Amino acid sequence: MFELSTNVASPQQLRRGDFSAYDALYLGEFSCLSYPNNFCAHPEFLADAAEQVHALGKKAYLRLFAVPSNHDLPTVRKVIEAALALPFDGFEVHNLGLLQMLKEMGNTKPIHLGVFGNLYTDATARVVKDYGVTRVYPNPELSLDEAIYIRDNTPIDVLIPVHGKIPLVVAETCFIHENSGGLPGEDCKFKCAQEHWLTRASGDWSLKDTGCMTLSGADLCMLEHVEKLTAAKLNAFYVQSHGESPEYIATVGRIYRDAFTKAFAGETEGDVQPLLQELSGLAKMGLCNGYYFGDAGRRYVGRT
Amino acid sequence: MCRLVLDEGADAVYVGVVGWSRRGAEHELSDDEIRHVIDDAQARGREVRVVVNTLPSSTEIPMFLDRIQQYAGWGARGFMISDVGCMRLVKTLLPDVAVHTSVGCGVTNFEDVRFLRDNGATHVVLPYRMTVEEIAEIKQKTGVGIEVFLFKTPSGGKICPGKCMMSSYFSYRRWLDETGKDHFYGSASRGGDCLRVCQSEWDFGPDDAFIRHGMTIKTNPALWLDELPAYLAAGVDCLKVPGRDRSDLLVRDIVRFYRRVLDRIQESDNPDLSGFREPLLVFHQRWKVERGIRDNRLIGEAEREARRVEREQVSAKNFEVVI
Repeated sequence: MFELSTNVASPQQLRRGDFSAYDALYLGEFSCLSYPNNFCAHPEFLADAAEQVHALGKKAYLRLFAVPSNHDLPTVRKVIEAALALPFDGFEVHNLGLLQMLKEMGNTKPIHLGVFGNLYTDATARVVKDYGVTRVYPNPELSLDEAIYIRDNTPIDVLIPVHGKIPLVVAETCFIHENSGGLPGEDCKFKCAQEHWLTRASGDWSLKDTGCMTLSGADLCMLEHVEKLTAAKLNAFYVQSHGESPEYIATVGRIYRDAFTKAFAGETEGDVQPLLQELSGLAKMGLCNGYYFGDAGRRYVGRT
Repeated sequence: MCRLVLDEGADAVYVGVVGWSRRGAEHELSDDEIRHVIDDAQARGREVRVVVNTLPSSTEIPMFLDRIQQYAGWGARGFMISDVGCMRLVKTLLPDVAVHTSVGCGVTNFEDVRFLRDNGATHVVLPYRMTVEEIAEIKQKTGVGIEVFLFKTPSGGKICPGKCMMSSYFSYRRWLDETGKDHFYGSASRGGDCLRVCQSEWDFGPDDAFIRHGMTIKTNPALWLDELPAYLAAGVDCLKVPGRDRSDLLVRDIVRFYRRVLDRIQESDNPDLSGFREPLLVFHQRWKVERGIRDNRLIGEAEREARRVEREQVSAKNFEVVI
């Protein structure tokens, strides 16, 4: 009926987390190959991971590194080679060059275009579809109506993020390493294990930084709009949880699982204020709706 | 400015179309102006390339293609495009035009470039931090025309052309004009100005223990010189001087300067560029001053827009507010 998914970076996180609310897991931290035991960089972990996720009755999608330089391509190739021989349910690709590579390596698994695939139009969706892409994560700047237009006019499956911080920037260097005394080429000290924030003294602007990626300060929250999403016949939903605690992942998943189950059963959502309070309590910098309603990403638009 | 830079030795000039390039309208040209520039450049045996590098809405694509056909009919032979789907459509419609992919395509490796080439790109603009070795490998493995900016950001900070939505997260508005064209304030990717929020002053650190105060997220780029022979040897075909957001006189002087540098490089296998270093320092200073003025103006706009939005809505932190 619907699929609720989230992301898991490493075997440790997979073991530690409660993913019972989710139907599918995107494995790997796509912004940083140095992230400890990242599925994106360690082909040796992939067989166990796929088996574990399937044993939980969930789909396992493997994420590929989003910003590979020329010298990263051999590492990514090894990961793809290992994954092609394993029962993964698909790849997530952010880099168009890797689409080319997957095609030439004979991939037949479904491919999902990730958030940094820069998808803005149905014309581009048709191009990537020719490379085996079956699902796209439209650029966060697109409104809900634009995402639906792309789904209907390509046609192609679209992934709709419903909760979590919005990925805004991905870069090839680690901002945390650079700004905490790390030298170029020096080993990563995994300082991103601690939450890092960018805040602006004048005004309440905030961003969360995970090193190679900058995320929105506020958490995207679509709980008040679940009925609108289901009415639009959207059915693939995603919780962005990179850098969040196991409690966050479990709680957010449970809330949205219940909300979508009710909505797809035709039940009204009712009073969501207590659940919004709970989600708000997990969001250090507040809630927002991203760009879904045509506004600046950090705005929150309640149900009218 | 177009006439000035062609007079100073630029081989080609890029012109942005109002509403369709990655900058605000004040740096873009109307159709009449574009036609005039094309005629003028053709009379001088030079080339005009039309910049239509926004990432448009799906519904704007027919309008986008009409525009391209119009400019091609006027004699434009090259177009700068970011959207891969639009690129393929243009190449199908007008197989003889050159398609230059914008820096907004966010190329990171040679496989990216092969993908773009296979979907219609004849030239790619590479991001600022690529090394000579990376450029040489891309050229060797793809054969595509290579363009680089004549400035770079060698030191730290985030650089992510085509992979950054920081500006629009804080300030963004969308509206349709009478022709049905979508306009997006605050998003460079969608045709508005990037409001340079990365150039504002930020505090940074783990949780509440800030380790840096008043820092910018992105460092300022600088014009370069001594690396130029190596870049040309690596296969760079086109060197770009960014003209938007700068004064006519500064751009004119920079073009004049680099024309002389390139002529010197072409005269010798071991060109002596030492005489250009001092003038370059002056350009650095002028560049920095103009950039600072531009950044402050845009950050001011972002703040005003944020305040306007905040007046309408108390705060993103308060989920109970209903618009």
